[in-house]
Amino acid sequence: VSVLGVGHGNKLLTDLYNCHLTKVYTVGGLFGKATDDFSDTGKLVEKTTFDHITREKLERILAVIQGINHKALLMHSNIDMKTQEAYELAVKGLIRPMGKSPPIITAIRCLQFALPEFQLEIHCLHETQQYLRKIVHEIGLELKSSAVCTQVRRIRDGVFTLDDALLRTQWNLQSIQNAIWDCQLKVKTELEKTLG
Amino acid sequence: AVAAAMWGALRGVRRPAAALRRGLAKAAGPRSIRQLREAEEAAPVFQYVGKAPKRKDRVFVWGFCYSGALGVPSFVKPDAGWKKPRRIQPTPYRLETAEKISSAACGYGFTLLSSNTTNITKVWGMGLNKDSQLGFQRSRRDQIKSYEYVLEPSPIPLPLEKPQQTRVLQVSCGRAHSLILTDSEGVFTMGNNSYGQCGRKVVEDETYSESHLIHQLKEFDSRVVQVVCGQDHSLFRTKKGAVYACGWGADGQTGLGHYNITSVPTKLHGDIAGVNIIQVSSYGDCCLAVSDEGDVFGWGNSEYLQLASVTETTQVNVPRHLPFKIGKIKEAACGGTGNIVLTEEGNVFVWGYGILGKGPNLTETAVPEMIPPSLFGWSDFNPDVRVAHVRCGLSQFAALTNRGELFVWGKNLRGCLGTGRMEDQYFPWRVTVPGEVVDVACGVDHMVSMVKSFT
Repeated sequence: VSVLGVGHGNKLLTDLYNCHLTKVYTVGGLFGKATDDFSDTGKLVEKTTFDHITREKLERILAVIQGINHKALLMHSNIDMKTQEAYELAVKGLIRPMGKSPPIITAIRCLQFALPEFQLEIHCLHETQQYLRKIVHEIGLELKSSAVCTQVRRIRDGVFTLDDALLRTQWNLQSIQNAIWDCQLKVKTELEKTLG
Repeated sequence: AVAAAMWGALRGVRRPAAALRRGLAKAAGPRSIRQLREAEEAAPVFQYVGKAPKRKDRVFVWGFCYSGALGVPSFVKPDAGWKKPRRIQPTPYRLETAEKISSAACGYGFTLLSSNTTNITKVWGMGLNKDSQLGFQRSRRDQIKSYEYVLEPSPIPLPLEKPQQTRVLQVSCGRAHSLILTDSEGVFTMGNNSYGQCGRKVVEDETYSESHLIHQLKEFDSRVVQVVCGQDHSLFRTKKGAVYACGWGADGQTGLGHYNITSVPTKLHGDIAGVNIIQVSSYGDCCLAVSDEGDVFGWGNSEYLQLASVTETTQVNVPRHLPFKIGKIKEAACGGTGNIVLTEEGNVFVWGYGILGKGPNLTETAVPEMIPPSLFGWSDFNPDVRVAHVRCGLSQFAALTNRGELFVWGKNLRGCLGTGRMEDQYFPWRVTVPGEVVDVACGVDHMVSMVKSFT
């Protein structure tokens, strides 16, 4: 999913960026190798065994990553923790960094697990592709093995999901017009909700 | 530069080699894809851990260091001249222990760790020892004197009849006394006995420091399965579901119907007579007990509205049933001014006075208020996160989830919350511990946790 703005839509793009909505990725990984740029096309640094890894161990690590990132989320949102307002937002789960912040993962879970391959679904904010590959590498290290990232695919960008995306064969004026029409309402409600 | 060379090789660009060929060693040059693949396959495979690795048990400590209660001597007496002593350890620090620790307890400036091993050394203590609450720690300089501050986990010698068979099940610490529960030899008590909290007759003008005396308590109606220390009193729970108490009673915390001290453990009656109690808890001057049917009973100090739901008096000296309609209660914990319970559904309720965990506006309530589960990591994404245990320190609360995460909130006295910040925490906050937290013990200004490593 890659969002494009046409004409007046460009101004909406900057507004959407300021909403700081989460993006969702499916990340594929492979255990047993470690490379210098954390992906499987990089130069090999090390090979390790991985037969001790089970799905349960992976899920435990994912739970910890979520916990640490949840804490980072609260800390970077620049709200004073001592106020009642902070408590109310924390209960509803609406605390979010509204300014610049390092990459934060709001949710992560394992979709598929078939040694040596695995697939994760990651919801994150302000991330880069290198950060996602690094996460895969660190999961490998934490499980006392190593891992490389084989695939990164964005399946959601704020309000736009895979269902709204157009295939390569659909890149013609009529489909684009229909897509803009369908998404208009969603974008407007989201902007109103966040920016007031 | 390496990446560029690789791309060159993959596109099939050849270096002009003719001018350089002189019969001497040739430069390595960019490798072809086949060479890369062969090199990869020939690379050695490292094995960091075997097929079925065991998860290691670790102990993490944090909080105020000067009392020695954290068990790391270099915090109080640094090993290099230029290093300064560390006053507070704000984040979890790993403590090396000789054996796997199964039970830990934090008192007022001291800590007890125990293991359920059959080796001779079963209990270690560190921190304040001015009332011999850690037993007699023979000083190396003078064989007659005992240490006043113990800086690292030191074995506590227990007068056991069968030291290689008896196992220590649980330890508990109060303000200046400690209780050690064994499986077949009753309960051992040490420390201050000015109010009879050690279960033996009060001796006038007794000096408690450098004392060798460890008292053994065996006469109960059945085997003791849980020991709890309040500030200056002790509670014992037996297998049959009865509760015994001894010690200071001016707030009614002994629950025996009077406000005097008791020096011999005596059975409690009141609303818990005939009820099978499955858990008792106390840390300050208020006590709570949970029955097998999910009812909670309380007695002791009620100046902070802990028992205000049943009575207006500020001291209750007989156990009273607390009629809360919040569901079946699984576990309860008492702090200095606030109480917390955990229900069967996994909901957490708090009441009392102080920082209760629902923001800065809720400072006191007589009726339990629920803390929303979303603060403990529950969300649509993770719907099966539940709180598994609740613990209380003097002015802090701790909750353990079934995922092994530790949440703390309350007054951050000398860094005891372990969050890394020095401010008080008004709602549950995660403590980052490198492992799955199995149990935690809260004290006045420090905490100890037992953690299992991830792999």
